[in-house]
Amino acid sequence: MQRLLLLLLATLSLCQLSAQSASKFTISGYIKDATNGEALIGATVYISEIQSGGVTNEYGFFSITLPSATYTVNMSYVGYATINKSVLLDKNIRIDIELQPEASQLQEVVVQAELEQANVQNLEMSTNKLEIRTIQKIPAFLGEVDIIKSLQLLPGVSTVGEGASGFNVRGGSVGQNLILLDEAPVYNSSHLLGFFSVFNPDAVKDVKLYKGGIPSRYGGRLSSLLDVRMKEGNSKKTEITGGIGTIFSRIAVEAPIIKDKASFIVALRRSYIDILARPFVKLLQDGGALNFYDITLKANYNINPKNRVYLSGYFGRDNFKFDRGQGFSWGNATGTLRWNHIFNDRLFSNFTAVYSNYDYSLQFGRDEKDSFKWNSLISNYILKPQFTYFINSNNELNFGAEAIYYNFEPANAVGVSNGVPTDVSIPKKYNLETSLYISNSQKITPAFSIDYGLRYSLFNSFGPDSTYTYSNELPGNKRLPVRAQYRKSGEVIATYGNFEPRVSFKVQATPTSSIKGSYNRMVQYLHLISNTTASNPLDVWNPSSENIKPQLGDQYTLGWFKDIGPTRQYELSLEVYWRYNQNQVDYINNADLLINRYLEGDLIAGEGRSYGLETYFQKKTGRLTGWVSYTLGRSELKVDGINFNPNDPLRKGNWFPTRFNQTHNLKIAAFYEINKRWSFSADFIYTSGTPATFPTSRAVVQGIVVPYNANESRGNVNLPDYHRLDISFRLEGKKQKNGKDRKNSDYWVFGLYNVYARENPFSIYFSQSDKRVLAGQPITSQATQLAIIGTIVPSVSYNFKF
Amino acid sequence: MKNLIYIILFVSSALSLFSCETKINPELESAVPVLVVDAWLTNKPGNQTIILTKTQPYFDSSTPPPVTGATVTVTDNSNKVFAFVEDLAKPGYYVWTPVGNELIGVVGTSYKLSIQTAGETYSAESRMGPTTAVDSITFKKNEPTQQNPDFYRGQFFAKDVLGKGDTYWIRTYKNGALLNKPNDINVAYDAGFDSGGSFFSRMGKSRDGLRDSAILVDFIPPIRGRINPSDKDANDKVLSPYLPGDSVYVEIHSITTPAFNYLQEVSIQTNRPGGFSELFARPIANVSTNMVNSNPNGKKALGFFNVAAVSGKGQKFIQK
Repeated sequence: MQRLLLLLLATLSLCQLSAQSASKFTISGYIKDATNGEALIGATVYISEIQSGGVTNEYGFFSITLPSATYTVNMSYVGYATINKSVLLDKNIRIDIELQPEASQLQEVVVQAELEQANVQNLEMSTNKLEIRTIQKIPAFLGEVDIIKSLQLLPGVSTVGEGASGFNVRGGSVGQNLILLDEAPVYNSSHLLGFFSVFNPDAVKDVKLYKGGIPSRYGGRLSSLLDVRMKEGNSKKTEITGGIGTIFSRIAVEAPIIKDKASFIVALRRSYIDILARPFVKLLQDGGALNFYDITLKANYNINPKNRVYLSGYFGRDNFKFDRGQGFSWGNATGTLRWNHIFNDRLFSNFTAVYSNYDYSLQFGRDEKDSFKWNSLISNYILKPQFTYFINSNNELNFGAEAIYYNFEPANAVGVSNGVPTDVSIPKKYNLETSLYISNSQKITPAFSIDYGLRYSLFNSFGPDSTYTYSNELPGNKRLPVRAQYRKSGEVIATYGNFEPRVSFKVQATPTSSIKGSYNRMVQYLHLISNTTASNPLDVWNPSSENIKPQLGDQYTLGWFKDIGPTRQYELSLEVYWRYNQNQVDYINNADLLINRYLEGDLIAGEGRSYGLETYFQKKTGRLTGWVSYTLGRSELKVDGINFNPNDPLRKGNWFPTRFNQTHNLKIAAFYEINKRWSFSADFIYTSGTPATFPTSRAVVQGIVVPYNANESRGNVNLPDYHRLDISFRLEGKKQKNGKDRKNSDYWVFGLYNVYARENPFSIYFSQSDKRVLAGQPITSQATQLAIIGTIVPSVSYNFKF
Repeated sequence: MKNLIYIILFVSSALSLFSCETKINPELESAVPVLVVDAWLTNKPGNQTIILTKTQPYFDSSTPPPVTGATVTVTDNSNKVFAFVEDLAKPGYYVWTPVGNELIGVVGTSYKLSIQTAGETYSAESRMGPTTAVDSITFKKNEPTQQNPDFYRGQFFAKDVLGKGDTYWIRTYKNGALLNKPNDINVAYDAGFDSGGSFFSRMGKSRDGLRDSAILVDFIPPIRGRINPSDKDANDKVLSPYLPGDSVYVEIHSITTPAFNYLQEVSIQTNRPGGFSELFARPIANVSTNMVNSNPNGKKALGFFNVAAVSGKGQKFIQK
């Protein structure tokens, strides 16, 4: 590891030397959308003379350093008119440019796995970028445009079914995805138990999913990074967008505060099924509630060409209330303050401060004499300075640091029974995760480039807290606390440090094809522990501690990327991945995860592995666009005490498939422009059934039929396959009224979800018949297959913009 | 956290329009039958019975195959032996008949079950803990709903024994018949659901804050209320748990902590109301057992042995 570090430093100093030796100058600046002033992320800056260039970063900034000469600078972004500019580079030049969107809607590119010209420069692999315009076209459940549901149409991304929170990437668990909303971690991405995601599409600018080759500036989760960037708000004119749908309505207002200098966006969503149902449902009249809402806001101020600040926030909540006093609610809140500062033409920096909170609360009891109140939260404060040094046209250096302070409150709970209160709270936990990173993206020859970096992360847990030593038991048995120790405030309880090397390379085999590979090590200090069939809002986040080690994951990927067609309108990619995880936290059979002070005694750790092949074929232009994605994969765990041979006294675990293992995963998305006003979209999903555990036998004890699995196996059968077709039609509103162009634009979306009403199984459960049986009489046992969505679901929504 | 399930059932009713359930008959792995021991003894007067059966394929809905010809004894820690004799009329039933006023069960005594069958020897231990008295049983009319204008629920009150770690099994008889469906399983760890919840009777400052006194904690409301049978009539209409004229008898059995864990596991594994509660359900896992084969490489056995002290109280529902 130290050698790697030395090598890195040596290379960097070499780059420095070469940069200083010639008389070189820098072209830098921002690229924005001319209609609304939004920064364009990943726009290409191409210098014809050197057949190379750069792409804009998350803030739309680029910088290229070249020897003094005259260059043709070509600035482009898919869906926008390209600008060519001749530049005499005899001094450092700042170019801030605004690109005009192309008029024709028919030329839209659907998903950019890679930009056409960025092929030359772009080192990234295993990433998918979804345009919000594409997301808006994908047929959606109840007609509600949804970012996470749309991601599930991409290769390597899956879900265990309708009603499950979150998503799975390359066989990783829901808790192994880092979801960032404007740099703030989001701990639960779902509304309404997973039917909708928390992101308001009207306020989102850019969605990028990293499934592998994760840059060293990110860390903290093993399997993926979902980077969601919010719109900055129109800095040219006031714009109002919104929609009225089946389940909820949305409205977003964006406007300049100072034209071209400062702007804001405020977006709101609220479900209204409870309002509509109130006249008919007595529960709702009595103070019951069933709703969710979210508010997204962002403002930015362009202080001067070198400084820009952004303030963004999100607040979302789900409320399920039984009556006035009883119910269940959960939500995320985030706030991000960012300051972009350009030290000089080549040194770009961003300083981020983040607050993020996820909490849920439950309340039962109709009166003060008998009640139960419980809330749980995870909150964190993050500071993150990041620097990009554009050394020359062949090297881009990224370095920075991150500090995250976590505050866990597993349970603040008080129960009152017949007037006697009992505090059953669990002590809070305090943790600090600090990291340093450095990476360089280097073009070694025009055809070979490499990105290498290193991240070092350090995790501490602090007192005050009571820590426990647990008894030694056979793996899989509950371990009991045998010794407790109280740690004072500020005392360091556990420390873990890890180096996380990241490498990726690209070989340009031919002008239209490339081979890319990557290796990355990821470390995860927080563990999402779920023992339910599907992930849900009550799942417990637990930090690493004396008894729980951090998870380590190593992923290797190799891929082949090919553009096909005279205008490169088709794209084909094949990627293989292999990941091996250590210290994956699992739970013993019958573990008790909620409000359990001795939770760690119910947890065990083991190994995980997942591997697979992703294929992706996309048609990017024309009246018919779309893609076909197929993933062949496997995801497994091996934990002592689970899935062991019943005759093995040591209970050594055997590999078993994870709950979200899917052998085959096929998705087809197609978009067809029928005429200027009508368009048609369809998606089809076919996946292998996910594993489930079935009993072999039954035992009758005290007149109750208890299922028994004689082979002690987990995931011993697969549920039936899942497949579903969704379609939607979109009708654009008239562009003209009384012969004049309308100022407003609007469209209708008519959708059908699950067109052929397949009853896709979510789970199969085993139970005895509900009938009462006299003692000693035979009892019937049965299996029931549950489809969460077992019918065709029609929807209609109206969307507007003015 | 059982209440959670009900909340979720309620909240998801709006979405459940789209869901559907189908009875299926999937093929299951085959397995060798193993011994199942059903040995829940009490200090109630009269005969005590231990039932020995074997596991059967999950979808085999006949009565479980009995295990006959076994030797079954219970020994207490002063080496008193209670012999359980096979009932020839009921295969698999092994019965101990008291002589005079003889009882099995003195609080604080440990008992050992020993079973010899088919060349294997199994044993299990259980210590009888203290139980607590049922203080009262009340009935209350629910607010009328469209489905049921007359919906009455019962509730019992009882206080946890002083100290931490007392475990109970509450068994309810409606009009003399034991309520014995999976969703009738009602266990308490101290006054609450589980050890992590720490609802227990303890010493503490009295309300005036002047002196130390015992703070006795009543069983929490979900436990108090879980004496209500949930049944439907032929038209799938939910029946009122109790109607005026019904009688209820509530028993509190003291059980060991492993027996509490066992029953809680059985409840999780068998109480499957289906529908959206499946989102919060857990995958199938084997429940525990306290049966130990003296030969570690011998055949396993399932089931449980517990000796309980029992208290009880009855109440007839008379509308005032």
